[in-house]
This record gives sequence, C-alpha cells and structure tokens, in this order.
Amino acid sequence: MATKQGVKGGAAAGKAKKAPKAGADDKREDVLQAVVLADSFQDRFLPFTLERPRCLLPLAGVPVIEHTLEFLASNGVQEVFIYCGAHSEEIETYIYDSKRWNPNSAISPFSSLEFIRVSDATSIGDFLRDLDKRGLVSGDFLLVHGDLVANVPLDDALAKHRARREANRDACMTMVLRSLGAERHRAEEASVIKPVFVVDSATGRCLQYDEIHPLQKGDNLMVDPSVFQECPDFAVRADLLDCGIDICTPEVLALWSESFDYELPRRNFLHGVLKDFELNGKMIYTEVIDGGYAARASNLAMYDCISRDMMERWTFPYVPDSNLVHGQTFRRTKEGSCLEDNAIVERGVHITKSVIGAGSTVNTGTSVSKTIIGRRCRIGKNVKITNSYIWDDVVIEDNSTITRSILASHVAVGNGCRIPEGSLLSFGVRIGDDTQLRKAPTPRISRLRHDRTAASTDDFLVGPGGKGAMYQDPEDDDDQDSDTDANPALLMKTLFYSLEGMDLSQSSISTLASDDEYDDDDDDTFAPTLGADGTMATRNRLSSFASLASDDSAAHASSVDAFHGDAVHGLVDALRADENEDFDSAKLEFMGLRLANDASDNSMRRAIAVAFVRRAAELLKPEHGGLEPTKAAERALTSKKGAVKFIKEVGVGGDKTNLQMEFALAMQKALLGVKGLESARAGALLAAMLQQMYSLDVLEEDGILAWWRDKRASENEGLTKLREKCKVLVEWLENADEEESDDDDSD
Amino acid sequence: MAPSRTGHAPTMEKLVKSLKGQLLEASIDSYIHLLKRRQVTGDDCAEATAHILRQVVAKSKWSDVDQLLNAVQSVGSRLVQAAPQEPVIGNIVRRVMGLIRDEASEERNADETMSESISELPALAPPTTAVHPARPQPTPFRPPPLSSVTSFHVSRSKSMFNLLSVADTMHSPQTGASTPMSQAQPTSMNSLRSEVLDGIEEIMDEISQADDQIASFAEIQINPTDNVLAYLPSRTVERFLIKAAAKRKYTVFLVSLDPPNTHSGEVPFAALRKKLNSYGVKTIILASNGLMAYMSRVNKVVIGAKVVYQNGGLLVESGASVAAQAAHALSRQVIALGGVYKFCPEDPSDNIAGEKGASSTYVSYSDGLKVDALEVENTVVDYVPPELVDVYLTNLGPQTRHHLATIMADHYKPEDVGFSLHPGELY
Repeated sequence: MATKQGVKGGAAAGKAKKAPKAGADDKREDVLQAVVLADSFQDRFLPFTLERPRCLLPLAGVPVIEHTLEFLASNGVQEVFIYCGAHSEEIETYIYDSKRWNPNSAISPFSSLEFIRVSDATSIGDFLRDLDKRGLVSGDFLLVHGDLVANVPLDDALAKHRARREANRDACMTMVLRSLGAERHRAEEASVIKPVFVVDSATGRCLQYDEIHPLQKGDNLMVDPSVFQECPDFAVRADLLDCGIDICTPEVLALWSESFDYELPRRNFLHGVLKDFELNGKMIYTEVIDGGYAARASNLAMYDCISRDMMERWTFPYVPDSNLVHGQTFRRTKEGSCLEDNAIVERGVHITKSVIGAGSTVNTGTSVSKTIIGRRCRIGKNVKITNSYIWDDVVIEDNSTITRSILASHVAVGNGCRIPEGSLLSFGVRIGDDTQLRKAPTPRISRLRHDRTAASTDDFLVGPGGKGAMYQDPEDDDDQDSDTDANPALLMKTLFYSLEGMDLSQSSISTLASDDEYDDDDDDTFAPTLGADGTMATRNRLSSFASLASDDSAAHASSVDAFHGDAVHGLVDALRADENEDFDSAKLEFMGLRLANDASDNSMRRAIAVAFVRRAAELLKPEHGGLEPTKAAERALTSKKGAVKFIKEVGVGGDKTNLQMEFALAMQKALLGVKGLESARAGALLAAMLQQMYSLDVLEEDGILAWWRDKRASENEGLTKLREKCKVLVEWLENADEEESDDDDSD
Repeated sequence: MAPSRTGHAPTMEKLVKSLKGQLLEASIDSYIHLLKRRQVTGDDCAEATAHILRQVVAKSKWSDVDQLLNAVQSVGSRLVQAAPQEPVIGNIVRRVMGLIRDEASEERNADETMSESISELPALAPPTTAVHPARPQPTPFRPPPLSSVTSFHVSRSKSMFNLLSVADTMHSPQTGASTPMSQAQPTSMNSLRSEVLDGIEEIMDEISQADDQIASFAEIQINPTDNVLAYLPSRTVERFLIKAAAKRKYTVFLVSLDPPNTHSGEVPFAALRKKLNSYGVKTIILASNGLMAYMSRVNKVVIGAKVVYQNGGLLVESGASVAAQAAHALSRQVIALGGVYKFCPEDPSDNIAGEKGASSTYVSYSDGLKVDALEVENTVVDYVPPELVDVYLTNLGPQTRHHLATIMADHYKPEDVGFSLHPGELY
C-alpha cells in the first residue's frame, strides 16, 4: 500500500523539469493530498533538537506532528507525503510505531502515507524541488509544516481556491492566514517576525510580501509602485499570523524548480513570485480566517504560546482532555486542570490550570501552576513550579523552584534547586542538590555539544553530581563581545523575550553588511544561528531582508540577491580549485551572471570582495592550512592567474580613487560577514589583503587613504574594530607618501 | 453554504456511506475520532452509534451470545470513553445490548419449547410489572384528542412501550416456525444475527422518527395565544415549533447566545424564523442575558434535552438551566423535549456537566488583550434539576417525572444499566 522511500541526490537534480502531465489529473481531483515538511532547517529549538526533531517535541504531552496529522485527517486529507531531513529515522520510527498513523494499519485515516528523504537537502526549497521532480502530486494539495496546530476547517478555503483556479489557471496558491486583530497579541509577539501582506481588498490577492520584526529601526515599509497601478484598493495587513498552511496547485512546484535558489516558502518564494508577477503572471491569494485556531510552533516562544492556548482551550477540540492520541486518558477537573488516569496527586497539592500525565506523582506541599507535566515524572515535596513545561520521566526533588522553563525528558533536579525564568534543560541533564542557576546568561544546559559530542560537565554550573554544561552555539564561541546587536533570530531561541534593554534605535542594520550574510550557505542549518551575544558577524538575514525591501528599490532586490549568491559561490569555487586551472572561465561565468541579472557595478564589487575575503578567511582555518593572515591574503589573491587582473578590472573597475575606496570598503564589510572569525584576526586579514593589493597595484595609496578617511568605514563598532587594525598600514602608507613627496621636492 | 462535492472534511454522512466497504476497526476508529474532534455531536451521535453497532453485530466474529455481547460492550465502552460528553451513546449501546439479550433468550426459549412463546412476555418484561396500570394513560393531563395524529401516537406508543416484547410477539412465531428444535447452532446464530440487525434498524427508525413524533404532540401542548420561549432551539424543538405553528397562532421567543457574531450582522435562526413567519407566527429574538425580563410574559418554556437522567434531571445547552429556573420561579410550564432514546438510566454526573468547550465561542482569539487578560470558561452543557421540569414530551407522548422509571425499565435491561459510563471519578 504505502512505500517507504529513501532517495539520494535530490537537490542536485532540482533543475530537472518534470514533464507536465495532463489528463490524469481530473479523475483524482477528489483525493486531497498533503505534504508535510517535517524539517524546518532551523535551529531555534536547540539544544533540544540535537536529540529529537522539532516535530516530535511534546506539545501538551503530545508530539507536535500528531496535531498536524490530526488536523489533516480532520480535513479529509487522503494521501500524505512527509518530507524529513534531520532525524528522519526517528520520525519514521515514530509514525510506524503509531497505531493510528502507520500506513499499514487498518485504522489509519489516510489511504497512503509516504516518507520522502532527501539526503542532501539544505532547505525547504530543496524538498519542494524534489517533490516536483517526483511528480507525486497530481492536483491541489495542502502544504503544511510539521509543527502546525490548527482546528480550522479548510473546506471553504479549498472551494474558493478551486473556483479561482477554474476562473484563471494562474491562480496557483492560496495561503491560509489567521487574523490577530489590531491589538497587541501574544501570538504575534511570540512569532517575532511579523509578516506583512499587501492584499487586494476585493479579491484577497496578495500583491506584495514583507517581513518586519520588533528590533527593526523603523516600521516603514515600501509599497511597490506597481501595486498602486494594479490595484487601487489594497490593504496592508500586518495583523496576520502566518500559520504556514498553503493550498497549492502543482504549478507552485514548477515555480520552485524554476528558481533553484529559493529556500524559504515565504521570504524567498512568495516574495520572489510576487515580484516577478509581470514575468510569470502567477497569482497568489490569501484566505484570512477570523474563527478557529491555527499556529505553528515555529520557535520557543510560539511553543509557549500554543501550549498556553491549548490549556486555555483556544485550540478546542485539540485540548488534552479530548484525548485525541491513542492511549491518552486525560480528564478535566473542576479547577480547570487536566489529569491523566494514574496521575497521583497527593493531598495538600495546589494544582491550577495545569496538565499532568499518567504515572506522574506530585507530593505534598507542592504547587503547580500553568504547567504541563508529562508522564512518569516524580515531583517531590514543597516544590514550586510555575509556567513551565516538563516533559516525560523528569525527577524533581524536594524544595526546588522552577519558573517558566522547559525541562526535557529524563532531566533530574536535585533538592533545593532554583531553575530561573527562561531556562532550557535538555535531555538527561542533571542538576545537583542546592544549585541555584543564575538568571543571566539564560541557562541553556545540555549534555551534548552542538556537534552532538558529549559535553564535559560543568560542575560549577550544574552543582555536585550534576550532568551537563552550558550549550554554546558554534557561532558565538568566538566573540564574547558585549556588542548586543539587535537580532530577531536571537529572540527566536528564547522561551520569552523582553524588548527592554535593547537599543531599538540602533542603526546598525546596514544593507550591505547584512547582505553579505545573505548567502552563508556553508551551514547546514539555514536560518542564521546566533548566540546570546550576537555580533554583527552573525547578523541575521531577516534584517537584511527587511532593509533590502524597504531601503533598496525593492523590485531590484530579488535579482540582486540571486546574482550575489551565485556570483560569490562561483568565484569561491574557482579560487578553491586546482592551482593550474585557469581563472578565465570563472571570470566568464561571472560576467554571464552579471548580464543575466543586470547587476550593478556596486553589486559586482560587493560580490567580488565577498568572494575573495571569504577565500582568504577560509585559508586561515586549520583545516585549510591555518595560514597566517599575510600568507592567506597572498594566496587568495595571487594563487590564480588572472585573479588580480580580474579584481582590478571588474572588481575595482578602474583607477579612480573613489572606486578603489569603495572596493576597500566592500572588503571591510565582507570581512564582517565572515562567520567564525574573531575581529582581531579579521582586522589583520584586512590589513594584509589591503597591503597585498597595494603591492599588486590593484589599490593605490590614495584609494586606501580615502577609505581610511571615509565615514562609512567606521560607522559602527564592528567596522571600527576592523579599521583599527589597518592603522599601521595606513601610517606606513602616509609616511611613504610623505617620503615620496619629499623626494619629489628634493629633486 | 451548500454542501458541495468539493467538501473534504469527514462527516457522519460520509462515514455512514463508507461503512460497508470499510474494515470494522477502521470504521470504529474514524467514528471515535469524529467524536473526539467534535465533528459529530448531539443528536447525530445516537444515529451514528447505532450504525456503528450494527456493523459490529454484522461484521465481528462471534459464535455465541456472550461473545456478541462482549463485542458490543467493548466497542460501546470505547465510544463512551471517547465522548463522555455525549451520554446518548451509552443509551444506544445499552439498547442494543438489551436487544441482544432479548433475542437470545427468545432463541433459547424457542429452542427449548416452542409452545412457551406466549409465556415469554411476562418473563421478559422488566420486574416492575406493577407499573403496567399506568401505561394506558400516557397523557395524564388532557384527554387524547381524536385526531389521526393521536391515534397514530397511541398505536405507536403501545409498540414503543413494549418495543422489545412486541418484537418478540412478531418475531417468535416466525423463528419458531422456520427453525425446528433440532436446528444447528450456526443457523440459530445466523438468525440471531439477522434478528438483532433488524432490531437495530428499528432503533434507528425510532431515532429518526422521534423528532416528528414529538412534533406531532405540538398542538396539544401549545395553545393559541401562547407565548412560548425556546432556548437555543435544537432540531427537535425547531420541528416542534414549526409543527405547532401550522395549527396554532402563537408567539415564539427565541433565545440566542448573546455575544457571538453580533458583528457579522447575521440574524440568528434565520431559517427557523422564516418558516415560523410563513405560518403567521410571530418570532422575537432575545439575547440570553435579557431572558429574565421577558419571562413574565411567557407562559411556556420549551427546552430540548440532550439527555434525560433517571431522576428526571436534564442535560441541556448551557444557559437553558437559567431559563428553566426563571420559568419555575414564575410558575411557568417547562416542557422538555426528547426522544425516549435520550433517556439515560443513570444519575447525573458532575464530570459531564463540567464539560468545557472552545474558549473562542465567547471571545475571539483575534482579540489579543482579552486573550491575555481573561480566563474563558465555556460551559457547554447545563444540568436542569428534575423539579424544574413539568412535562417530558417524548415520542411516546407527554410524561411526568413519575413515569420515567417505567420507560427506563422498559428500554434498558438491569444488567446493562451499570455499563460503565464514567471510568472512575477524579479526586
């Protein structure tokens, strides 16, 4: 009945076009298909997702994907395809072990359920291009994420979608969005990034898409002039919660295949398709729902928000006491809590608005408030737990206090501990007796490190007999600078956030610097990963997106991005290649890209600067030889025949001082964008490269000095740091200059 | 709004249609999830349960009565546990089990001595035979009018009262005639199967006809110039009101829930009002919180019961209890409508009355401030204590509280009454 598939090499063949098939569609019209994206290529749930995929994390005691599948079943979906990336075995095992969802089970509500693995996928885009290639979907299908919780009936939206599609073949997609009203809303705050849809008021057609986030420097949004021409009556809606439910026609997949660099369904795909409306004529509609519930547990704050919504029954009937999952036996008490059978609550326990799973024991004197406790947990005496999420098999000894935290499965908390707000204790962490965790930095304790190797226990942190250490993102190991940069991705990784203490007026969102981030493709997780002390170097692409769209001519933005990504990639590859290979082909490719994308001189300069800087920075790393900055600069610039000439002619574009200055500036900013490079070393590298280029006659002293004096070179802290390192070089240049002029005089 | 073929969401109709081709276990499971997702609620549960149990009898493997009873009971208790908020499911399960017991004992008797078929009747009748004298007067208040409707009612009521015994008298001669004493066991099981299936069909018929039969008493209950208040009229009540409207000129106060959809501009009960108005019956819409003020002008309150407990208490839409109390305080007549299949041989339980629904019924989720600030408790059902109800209007005719026990005894076997509804209580 159902086949289990594991296929390699999906993404590479993404460009292959699926032959359009006609005719066969019609007879299968009435079978509703759904595609579940069970991997989001994000790391917002770290450190939990080191051990378990996001869609299997328990939400009110139930793995999130249960809610998603139940939602699909409630809407009469017949065929389901689940795309897995990381942890695919675990997800498959879970589904195959489940009595209800196992595709071979008689009681499965789906006529078929298939897993599709794409081994080398790095983004959702790769999944969808793979889907297009396979040609599995024949008619309209639902595209949802594996972290969706929703109770909305989709029949209406499906019918409308169909009517639109019959009227016009180009109406290819309908997005189901939940309106959140004009007031402040917790779901809106929790999702951090606020999508902005420019919508035709009459038809609901989406005309433009943008994203804003609370740390942005302004709330202004550039509406594309073409919107005014196309549709005089439009609404700009920022009050919508994007729950990631899309009703798609197969043409959507074709669109994904056409643009092989689209990665995210909204920021890349939707934005791109809408921008290219004049070219492709594809129309995307919005279906705004006012009733019902739909939200994605897309980050920890949303996880918190949805859990609360479940306890407060906004998600009805998806509430614990509906016992939707096989084997659940929750019942609601008069006080509004939900207790499962065999949950033992002793006398003298105060339980308010909480959920307690089967086999858990809560001892005398304990108070539990607005907390979800999983199964088989043991809570000691006089414990105080508020607003927390405690997964299965957790042991909490007497007299401890836990506030607004997540304790993953098998966590053990000793006697008299204090777990402060926002703590994330990952699987198997043990906190020794009488340990008071400190509030700042927010405890994120894991037994594994980011590369899934065991972390050595930090006794000071977790107390005597404890296990686990502070989890560090690989990116923020390098610099512990106090440079608290405004960064929405940082907010995504905390259970809750407060905007206090963040300098919202900070004007560090510079288009260029952040654009350089745009294609940090050497990371397997797509969304940028930032640490507690996120610096410029780890600035998130979101800001780039928003600022690009609002600052730049927006129409240009997407093609510029496309150009930039491809160009940098091509150049770096060429630089990495064998010594005796010629650089000319890379140059040719670059010029081709430039023509294809109609890239400006500015973006070419940027791309070239980024490419060379990245190559040089790479050479600094131990795995590439760990060269000294000087050597690295020399190697990056001169190892290729023609590379220097290329920089001079294309990158700098002439002998003029201001062009040279621009190039130096571009390099400086590019260096900021390189991940995993501490600023001192980056500065040294910049100095070395400038010197090298000076000696290769690419840059002249006037150019470098002009850069030195330019205000933009020191417009923020990160840039200033880099600039400082070049002081020696500049002084030397100035001296040389003087000497030269002295010589001139003496002659 | 038209149910187009494009609808994908599973419904009871789709489930019933697909029953034949599906495996039994799949049908049961999809029904359970329809219940859990609240895609089948209220009166529909009764019919759907009968359909499912019919499949259990038809499809499950059993070679003697006990196995069949076990099968029905285990499926039944799964259904009941899936939807503790719908006690009517338990009623149907009990009815079917009682039916099987009847058919089985009759089979046995037929096997033993065919001649004794007549003497079965008292044996099968519930132990409370003393209440028999009460039966011939199902309408204690007024003499039965000599309309055709009533005659239908009388004959029907007779058959309903003795539903099972009538079935006996009808079936036993046939069985006895067609099956000789020396019949093989499988044949008898097959005939038992078909008897039970027929019996379930009858229960389904009873369920589907109950509303019409209740409505047929409308003109007796409602007099011209009456002011009738209906709280959130259910399907049964709607039909009752319309039927009454055909014969009587009266006024209806329709009580709607207060806040929802006030902004959408929709008039509540539009279809019902249109029908009533077409008969020349005036309709007045009240918000539930404005109900008290009008109670003095009302002389009858009609409430659709979800369940009638054995003590005479009702499970009703939330808020209807307030209406009943207001009516009681002013000595207005309270009429509870509900087919006999809603009679539940149990005592009311706090758990069910504590059932809470979606918070979004009363507060929109898009109202962020309220979502944060309020704790919404949406009580779905209310309990109306028996002393507030004056008349129970069933498909067998109007009853008083004192006769409920008779009806219970007629329809349920004592051994099935304890069929577990609530697996344990909390705290």
